Amino acid sequence: MASRVPMELSSRWHAGWCAVLAMVVAGCVAPTLDQRRDAVNSINKAFRADYEAILAEKGTKTFNVTRAEAYDAVRVSMARLGMTVEAQDPVLGYVNVYAPAPLPLNQQEWEEAAAADLPRTREIIGPHVGIFRHFFNFEPKGLESVISGTVVETAAGMEISFTARMREIAPPESGFPRREYLPPAAVRMALDKMWREVEREFKATYRRP
Amino acid sequence: MTEQAYPDALQPHYRMHWYTIEKVLGQGGFGITYLARDTNLDQLVAIKEYLPVEVVARRPDSTVQSRSEGQRERYRWGLERFIQEARTLARFDHPNIVRVHSVFEFNGTAYMVMRFEEGENLGALLERRGTLPEKDLLRILLPILDGLELVHNAGFIHRDIKPDNIHIRADGSPVLLDFGSARHALGKSRTLTILVAPGYAPFEQYHSNSENQGPWTDIYGLGATCYRAIAGTQPLDAITRSKGILGSTREVLVPARSIGSGRYSGQLLASIDHALEFAEKDRPQTVSEWRRELLGETGAASATPAAAEKPAGATPQRAAPSVASTVVAPSALPPVPPQAVSEMHGAASVARQSMARSAWSGARVTVAWAIAGAAAGAIAIAVFLRSPPPDPTAEARIREIQAELNRTKERLDKDSKELDAKTKERMLALLAEQRKLEEERRRQEEQARLAEQKKQDEERRRMEEEKRKLAARSKPPTTPATKPPPQPEIATRPPPLVIPVVPDSSEAPPVVAVAKPRPDPQAEQLKRGEAALARREYENAREILTPLAEGGNARAQVRVAAMYESGQQGVKQDLFRSYIWYSLAARGGDTTAAAGRDRMAARLQPVQVSQADRVVENWRPR
Repeated sequence: MASRVPMELSSRWHAGWCAVLAMVVAGCVAPTLDQRRDAVNSINKAFRADYEAILAEKGTKTFNVTRAEAYDAVRVSMARLGMTVEAQDPVLGYVNVYAPAPLPLNQQEWEEAAAADLPRTREIIGPHVGIFRHFFNFEPKGLESVISGTVVETAAGMEISFTARMREIAPPESGFPRREYLPPAAVRMALDKMWREVEREFKATYRRP
Repeated sequence: MTEQAYPDALQPHYRMHWYTIEKVLGQGGFGITYLARDTNLDQLVAIKEYLPVEVVARRPDSTVQSRSEGQRERYRWGLERFIQEARTLARFDHPNIVRVHSVFEFNGTAYMVMRFEEGENLGALLERRGTLPEKDLLRILLPILDGLELVHNAGFIHRDIKPDNIHIRADGSPVLLDFGSARHALGKSRTLTILVAPGYAPFEQYHSNSENQGPWTDIYGLGATCYRAIAGTQPLDAITRSKGILGSTREVLVPARSIGSGRYSGQLLASIDHALEFAEKDRPQTVSEWRRELLGETGAASATPAAAEKPAGATPQRAAPSVASTVVAPSALPPVPPQAVSEMHGAASVARQSMARSAWSGARVTVAWAIAGAAAGAIAIAVFLRSPPPDPTAEARIREIQAELNRTKERLDKDSKELDAKTKERMLALLAEQRKLEEERRRQEEQARLAEQKKQDEERRRMEEEKRKLAARSKPPTTPATKPPPQPEIATRPPPLVIPVVPDSSEAPPVVAVAKPRPDPQAEQLKRGEAALARREYENAREILTPLAEGGNARAQVRVAAMYESGQQGVKQDLFRSYIWYSLAARGGDTTAAAGRDRMAARLQPVQVSQADRVVENWRPR
């Protein structure tokens, strides 16, 4: 009995020191706030370039429909994808919709997109956070996808275009600053999905000669 | 104050017969209500002046005149309806119907003299309190039903029931106001779409003919008012609901029973849902019928033949979700179960709640589920090992029951599809009719606009002609250059009779004429909108300024842009929309607008700026 007390004390001391040491080591090695910010800035820069390239390629389409048909199709197809209308102005031809991320992608699509973009993203942040790049993951929690759709009447027909961004509604669990731009694979996938819905709406609703 | 806040209003102390104006109580698009004193009886009264500012203007001598010859007929038609409404109302003497003492024509318009009631309208009360408890709601609703029943029994329909038209006196008793004047004010040439109160008007009111309207129309308005009082928000407007029913959108009305469950009695919620049935035939047909449902004197489910036709267990409020679940078929979407409808509306909040949980609590939940799953598995294995061999007779019976269930399900599905096809067909016909009417309205408005423009051009030409004539008359006679006119003659000549007129637009050349300057309707509207902004009546200001902005008025565009920029003026902040309005205004060289545009551009993504620029580039004023 007399010999157990020192032993327990000793093991507690040992565990406590280990914990303190681990915290000190982690504190010294873990990326600082500046490093994290730089990492996220790098992601934003790379993602923005990709995002703008993707939008230039497939962010706008022109259809041979009336303005009202185009406007309704945008609004309805967004609702079908689970997005909620936040603002709309038929006179300007503008609809703004939002939904908790990863919508308009479903969970499976999101996982595919994230898996496609993650290796490159970790490469981008590697120079800033070192080994901690392996702890980086996309965090759709606490974010909303916000999509702006516009309908513009041009000589070639009704021009529909989409842009998208992320909006933070809760801070990230990891403590990494938030990204503003969506991962490129997710943008591409979401745009394809949105256009499919718009085209399906035209086919379903309007049978033009 | 009055002059600034209500530029069209009569001034305090203005006298009409034995009534003296004291102050303005409020102004809508169709008239102004004043607090006045009846000097004969020495008591306060409320006087409503018919003044649809869209078609008439106040002259300096306080008389009212239509803005153009073309609008005179519309105005006269509305004026007659206004007087007719007053005469109708004067026939009712009920504590819950606004008491009309008199009506008279004066200043080229008409005035309805009513009892002055102190208190607050239900719209303002709900704005302040959000929702009302059941007891308070019934205290307002039941007396209104009594008054309305009297009106219906006399063969009239209110057609504009909404919280703003229910006044709550200081003692808590309610009074129903505004019997349809708004709907008549702009005359018959306007479609009713723009005159109905979205959310409170049923679908049948969106059509110009009134054949389908009846007590059930007012019951919908009351149901919607109750919905607002229990949900804190007004119901979806009927057009959106119609699209939800057709499956072109997922927006369907969340039943009161889902929203108010646990806070209000089942019978109240079921009655509200019954009153808000989309099809008029599915609603209670009379006030007394609906009152019985509200008081629990009869079951809501058996109240109408339509409800009785529904499968066992169905209640009237299930109609909207059930329709919504079937009409997605054309787009090959899976049916939306009723629960899913409310889940869709609550999805964002659920997502937010789940995000608030920490990762640690998530792990604990996972471990707990794993333990529970393992325990359940062990129990299942033990039960399986201990259970006796299956009885072949019982199994056969189970198979029979299963087959019977499948048959019943197929039959129900088939019936439901047939019913939905009929509903869809009817809705398509109604929507087609509505679209046709809208087209007609647009055509008429375009014609009126063109006629008005032609007239203005002619007027301008005439004035220019007169100006030229006057200028020619006032010019000195042409004389040879060698012989200048004698100086004394010029010095004594009287100045020419030339009065400058403020041009209608900055592009027009300066005009001189002997005519009195005509008031610019746009400038007056703008003044009203800005006055409403100054009074912090943001909703009113937005309603006045937005059409002006859409019509191309740069100053209104800047005002609207600023509202969207700040997001604190009755609209939700929307930088994209703000950027568009600032950009449109900046096209005319407005520096304030250009600064606003640049401010917004800095807060938007570059691609959003390009997207908005494309809208601006191709935008044409309405």
